[in-house]
Amino acid sequence: MKTSNSYTTIAYLFLAPALILMGVLTFWPVGYNTYLAFQDYSIADGSSTWNNFANFKYIAHEDLFWSALKNSLLYLLIVPVIQLAALVVAKMVNNKLPGMTLFRALFYIPVITSISIAGVVWANVYKYDGVLTWLLQSLGILHDQVNWLGEPSIALYMLMIFTFWKGIGYYMVLYLAGLQAIPSEVEEAAILDGANAFQRFWKITVPMVKPTILLCTLLSTIAAIKVYLEVIVLTKGQADTYTALFYVYDQAFRNYNFGRAAAAGVVVTFFCVLLAVIQFRMFGDDKK
Amino acid sequence: MALGKTTRTVIGRTLHYAGLVLFAIFTAFPFIWALSVGLSQDASNIWIFPRAFWPTDPSFGWFIRVFHEMPFMTYLGNSALMSFWTVVGVTVVSVLAGYPLARLKFAGRNLIFVAIIATMMLPSEVALVPNFITMKHLGLLNTMTGAILPNIAGAFGIFLMRQAFEAVPQDLIDAARVDGATELQIMWRIMVPVCAPSIAALAIFTLVNEWNDYLWPSIVLNSKEKLPLAVGVFNDLTGPFATSTSLVMAAIVMTIIPVLIFFAFTQRYFVSGLDGAVK
Repeated sequence: MKTSNSYTTIAYLFLAPALILMGVLTFWPVGYNTYLAFQDYSIADGSSTWNNFANFKYIAHEDLFWSALKNSLLYLLIVPVIQLAALVVAKMVNNKLPGMTLFRALFYIPVITSISIAGVVWANVYKYDGVLTWLLQSLGILHDQVNWLGEPSIALYMLMIFTFWKGIGYYMVLYLAGLQAIPSEVEEAAILDGANAFQRFWKITVPMVKPTILLCTLLSTIAAIKVYLEVIVLTKGQADTYTALFYVYDQAFRNYNFGRAAAAGVVVTFFCVLLAVIQFRMFGDDKK
Repeated sequence: MALGKTTRTVIGRTLHYAGLVLFAIFTAFPFIWALSVGLSQDASNIWIFPRAFWPTDPSFGWFIRVFHEMPFMTYLGNSALMSFWTVVGVTVVSVLAGYPLARLKFAGRNLIFVAIIATMMLPSEVALVPNFITMKHLGLLNTMTGAILPNIAGAFGIFLMRQAFEAVPQDLIDAARVDGATELQIMWRIMVPVCAPSIAALAIFTLVNEWNDYLWPSIVLNSKEKLPLAVGVFNDLTGPFATSTSLVMAAIVMTIIPVLIFFAFTQRYFVSGLDGAVK
């Protein structure tokens, strides 16, 4: 047997590429970003000077940042909707009936489409004379043509529908993997006992995939608070659709104010960590 | 109400399939419309629904024009090259890192694992600015290396590989050690073949993600001839190109088709390869 000491050397040799790359491109940025948040950064010569919390003071008084933060928190509304829908859909395709492979594939296609490309199609779906207007008009719900991405009161919800469309297949696959671990006898026994589909879903499926629900909820919460690619490809922040990370992106690569972007980034990081901790407290206690 | 068991099953099945079909329409309609618009030589019906879902005067005219209007093949080549090197990099780095985290006892193992997993909680987008500055210092702005480097080492790949390696029976490893195999041989001769399905799943996921990666390449790369599809086509489509919806939709269909073909061949791995990550 080798001593654990020699394993340590081998282990670190194996880990070296990952640790070096992550060190430089994942961990270092977190620290450097925090540092930048307290600096005035000059793009021209790369110099930076301490500015006594000026970036934080600025964003604390800027309405745009607050509305961006509010929009990001509002985006959390999508989490329960997308999780419940994904679980129901996963349940519906988790059987041996014919055609299920095809349906799984159809539901997964939005996930494997580039968000920029999907965004261009959806921008056209949301045009005032696009598919959505037509659909609602023919159902008799709507009479006028609506510029879906131009109305401040609804544009953010339109982004949410896009996120829902793009993401549901991803969670469906995760839930499918969880569902396939449930022995089929459990459900068959419940059918014999006369439980209807609704009861079986809440009393058997939901409790048995709880670990997957925790994982997916966590992933989708963090994805929701971090939402901004949708904004970049669909609205560019028009019609009250700034989100917190879009603000970061906007300050960094359109205003070239790296310090202010970093400060806003620190605030977003804080919210991400906070939400992750809350969720682990809520779900984590009774995890196997 | 006395419905027979068969009748109830039939009604249940019908509702089941009706639900699935409705949902499939929801996920597929943008693509169907895009395809129909791209195929319609006559663009007069593309905003008239539901007529627009069926091509008018079908031809490949718009698709051919895409090649003249944008350097589509250049973008395609860039995407292929970037995806290839990213898949190679991610697989090698994740396999190497996953093995000690799963099977070797060493000082700092838990700390490193927790630190890697914790990065999943952080908004990686906050790294955009620092990484941009790092790339500037390394002289990697506007290079393919700069565009793919941040995607090589990631928590997801390392986690997936660690989970896969943990499931390999200890007997196999012990037997190899008794035979005097080095750790590198154990990893290469035993772990990698046994975990091939998980590695395949990781490679597929990585390929699709890299193929679709939009933001970072759009920040790092600025010469048109270096752009991948997701960036180049988007820039062209939202630029002067946007005047012709037909052309836009034809280009979109052409961008999606390579991914669809790839997905059709590999889709069975998408579910099975994730098992380890969920359990």
